[in-house]
Amino acid sequence: MSIIEVSSTGLGEFKDIGRDKLLRMFRDMLRIRFFEERVEELFLVRGLLVGPAHLYFGQEAIAVGVCSSINPDDVVLSNHRGHGHALAKGIPAKYVMAELFGKATGTCKGLGGSMHVCMYPKLGALYSSAIVGSNIPIAVGVGFALRNTGRIAVCFFGDGAVNTGAFHEGLNMASYLKVPVLFICENNQYAISMKASRGIAARSIAERVSYGYNMLCYVVDGNDVLSVYKASLEASSRVRGGLGPVFLECRTYRLKGHGVYDKAEYRDKSECIEWYEKDPIALLKNKLLQLNILSPREISDLEDEVKREIDEAELFAQNSQILEFRELYSFVYG
Amino acid sequence: MTNIYMPRFDPAMETARIIEWIRKEGDRVRKGEPIVKVEGEKTTFEVESPIDGVITKIMYPENSEVKAGSIIAIISEQAVEGGEKPRVKATPIAKRIAEEHGINLSMVKGSGPDGRITKDDVIREIEKAKFKPIEAATVKIGEAKVLRRLRLSGLRKTISERLTYSHKTIPSASIAVDVDFEELIKLREMMEKSINIDISLTAFIVKAVAKALRKHIMLNSSIEGDEVTVYDSININVAIHTEDGLVAPVIFNAEAKSIEEISKEIKTLTEKAERRQLTLEMLTGGTFTVTNLGPYGVDTFTGGTFTVTNLGPYGVDTFTPIINPPQTAILGVGSVKNKVVVEDNDLVLKPMTTLTLVFNHQVIDGVPAAKFLDEVKKNLENPLILILK
Amino acid sequence: MGELMRVLTYAEAIREAIREEMRVNPKVFIAGEDIGIYGGAQKVTKGLYEEFGAERVIDTPISEAAIVGLGIGAALMGMKPIVEIMYMDFLPIALEQIINHAAKIRFMSGGELKVPLTIRTQYSLGRAHGAQHSQFFPSILLNIPGIIIALPSTPYDAYGLMKTAIKGENPVIYVECCLLYHRVKGEIPDQEYTVPFGKADVKRVGDDVTIVAISRMVHEALEAAKKLEEENISVEVVDPRTIQPLDIKTITESVKKTNRVVIASDDCVFGGIGAEIAASIQEHAFSYLDAEIIRVGAPNIPVPFSPQLEKNYMPSREDIVKAVRRVMYLEGD
Repeated sequence: MSIIEVSSTGLGEFKDIGRDKLLRMFRDMLRIRFFEERVEELFLVRGLLVGPAHLYFGQEAIAVGVCSSINPDDVVLSNHRGHGHALAKGIPAKYVMAELFGKATGTCKGLGGSMHVCMYPKLGALYSSAIVGSNIPIAVGVGFALRNTGRIAVCFFGDGAVNTGAFHEGLNMASYLKVPVLFICENNQYAISMKASRGIAARSIAERVSYGYNMLCYVVDGNDVLSVYKASLEASSRVRGGLGPVFLECRTYRLKGHGVYDKAEYRDKSECIEWYEKDPIALLKNKLLQLNILSPREISDLEDEVKREIDEAELFAQNSQILEFRELYSFVYG
Repeated sequence: MTNIYMPRFDPAMETARIIEWIRKEGDRVRKGEPIVKVEGEKTTFEVESPIDGVITKIMYPENSEVKAGSIIAIISEQAVEGGEKPRVKATPIAKRIAEEHGINLSMVKGSGPDGRITKDDVIREIEKAKFKPIEAATVKIGEAKVLRRLRLSGLRKTISERLTYSHKTIPSASIAVDVDFEELIKLREMMEKSINIDISLTAFIVKAVAKALRKHIMLNSSIEGDEVTVYDSININVAIHTEDGLVAPVIFNAEAKSIEEISKEIKTLTEKAERRQLTLEMLTGGTFTVTNLGPYGVDTFTGGTFTVTNLGPYGVDTFTPIINPPQTAILGVGSVKNKVVVEDNDLVLKPMTTLTLVFNHQVIDGVPAAKFLDEVKKNLENPLILILK
Repeated sequence: MGELMRVLTYAEAIREAIREEMRVNPKVFIAGEDIGIYGGAQKVTKGLYEEFGAERVIDTPISEAAIVGLGIGAALMGMKPIVEIMYMDFLPIALEQIINHAAKIRFMSGGELKVPLTIRTQYSLGRAHGAQHSQFFPSILLNIPGIIIALPSTPYDAYGLMKTAIKGENPVIYVECCLLYHRVKGEIPDQEYTVPFGKADVKRVGDDVTIVAISRMVHEALEAAKKLEEENISVEVVDPRTIQPLDIKTITESVKKTNRVVIASDDCVFGGIGAEIAASIQEHAFSYLDAEIIRVGAPNIPVPFSPQLEKNYMPSREDIVKAVRRVMYLEGD
């Protein structure tokens, strides 16, 4: 199967997508960014949150690009770095925040935490795995159940997952069964401190998948939301059409540490600075300004609006209750 | 170390109450010295120390209801100087059963590994302790099912227990005879007029029975397993009805006493019974029972050789009483009623009563029993015999 | 009762339960290595491929993690998958999916998601298959909340427990015993029935000692009981049928009656199922015990291949008899 290199979108292609959609995507990316900034503050400055938090800084274009291209009844599987997926799929920020606070109003009633926030079946956010790569075989099962329904499963994972047994067993099984699954690999270049180019003993992820599993692969600039969107749209329609599973390698960068406390001292600061210049939100903002789709004033208003949303989300979370301990026993068996 | 056991007043009695610890834990006691006062249904009894020693442990406080045969105190030959009790190795179920039955585990030999006391070991110990006698006169019974420990053993309960026991273990037979009380009643009237005191009918019957027993001494006995003990003393248990129920104190040496004396004694015993003043001594040692009150024989006491029970006053014509174990026989007396009998080809009205003799067939056969009963009948129908020595 | 009965082997009973459920519920499907065209490595699923076709009887490549993942994903979407792990020895490859995901998704989703997945596996102890193809270690999963563990010993229980597993809403590890597949026959009703999880079965009533037995050891215990009867020892055999949930109530009622208990199963004694059962018994019925609780099981070594050595390794009816005599304080080992 071939590898399709998706080029960055030219200005011209913007018009095809439509203003509303663009604004939606912009707002969604802002929401993710401001949410993650707030989470960082709640951890590091105000000390109100505990546990892990794997922040999505710099990867917003992927979650938003993919989720904008699929249908509401398509099923998403996420991973430990899932705040972005959750918000992009449409889960209200207050429920995601409440989950981080461990409250009963959270997406998992406070029983999952940061690594499982993208679990809201009503909106198609099915399951989030904290074990790297393990959502892949499960996505295959989901795809199996969705055969011939016109719906697809979308599975997010990082560059770290492509070396796990689950990845290999899962992709092989997916191709073998020809299940309707869209695999989204967010190659943010680091698996904690392991550089992707070091640990992956293949020429590239896309080549591994294409040759190894005979799967159609797209390679996309993960910081260009429109590239991601277009590639995802095309890929998902092929999946829906019965091609079998399709793979998207989205190349991006993890702007912050692995987890909220990680200072990422194993990286070159200059590398980071380089990638900050390719900040996906800044990229889109510039395009919007360039094409006069939004004025600076409108952008600033929009930003304020989204910030308020985050404020409300935090307030909601703070004011919610936690579950009674004895209720926990009722969630084990049915 | 010697154990002091809760005495069993009677084979079917299950529990008794500790009234008072006369001596306390740590006291030095002498052999024969009373150490604790216990109570059965209506009797009190003082248990004496069997040895010189020190009371090292009292197992139950005053007012406890304790199973007969349980250890209630331990007396040591020497004073025990503090010191640690050696750890008893026993299985959990062994400990549980021992506790339930008041068995002191340090007295049990363990057959398990390393001397461990097992359930079977404790059960064996319980079986042994069941039959600790208080005096020679108390006789062992055969295997009786252990009933549940009762907190309140009212007389009623005991009576029903007696019934069960007797019914189960004794192959009894009964014979009855009708007796003409005309002469007896006449004699009684005469005697009452002369001494101006009421004389109980039962007294006559007791006397009649006592005399007959001397001639048919086999019925004046008790049986234990294969062994029959024939008594020389003729001590007759007489059933007395009180508010609380039936008691049967003993008229000792009934043969030697006059009817007047017997009657007086019956009265005294009745008063005492009503006031709950009967002691064990008054209730044990009987060789035969006369039952006054119906088919339930008597109550808890041992030692009687024959029991007389008279239900006549209560309007009962005939009935078949139950033997008072370990005695051999019991005589039941029904009410005196005017009946039509044939005499010299004429129909006449006579005051008749039915006497029913129930006897243990292991000890005596029908013919000798009938002979005895006939003797009693003869005595009652010719009552002057009773006055003569 | 007049119920119509049919006689099936242990394997047939399992197959019939699956077949019947596949007939009435189109969401039921089976997946695993060689279960379709080949009819299953032990022929348990024989005939199902012919009846239901490739859409519902999925032959998979060797990918235990993906097989279970397939089951989990499909179950999350409302299907009723029955996946097979050919040998219990292969279960560890899939344990990550089972322990981290199948067992916990319902909890982590606050009850919003369910995983009605049945994972069938079997243990081949006694067939000289060596250390990596003979293992039996259900107690490993006992320590993971969220998984039902079923261990049928008879055709009756096999059918009933499988029915309950498929109809239910929980992840079930259903552990079959290879030696029982084709050798053990039993009567089961013609009419559909289920065996509930968490309900032990008293397979033999007795007064002197309780034997809690699992899977193949149920049969060994019954044979031991016959032998002990000759010595006038009355044996009660209790088969828990599921160890999670565990019917500790029936077990302790039995122990309260007999005061003595021996636990018999094919796993290693150390850290095996018997450890949990023994701990629970002494917790609930301590003052009723007349002796230690003895566990009969395998020694703390891997399974040797050499057939005679394997035979020595396997717990047997003789071991049970010895254990019973021990708890009854009868003469020497």
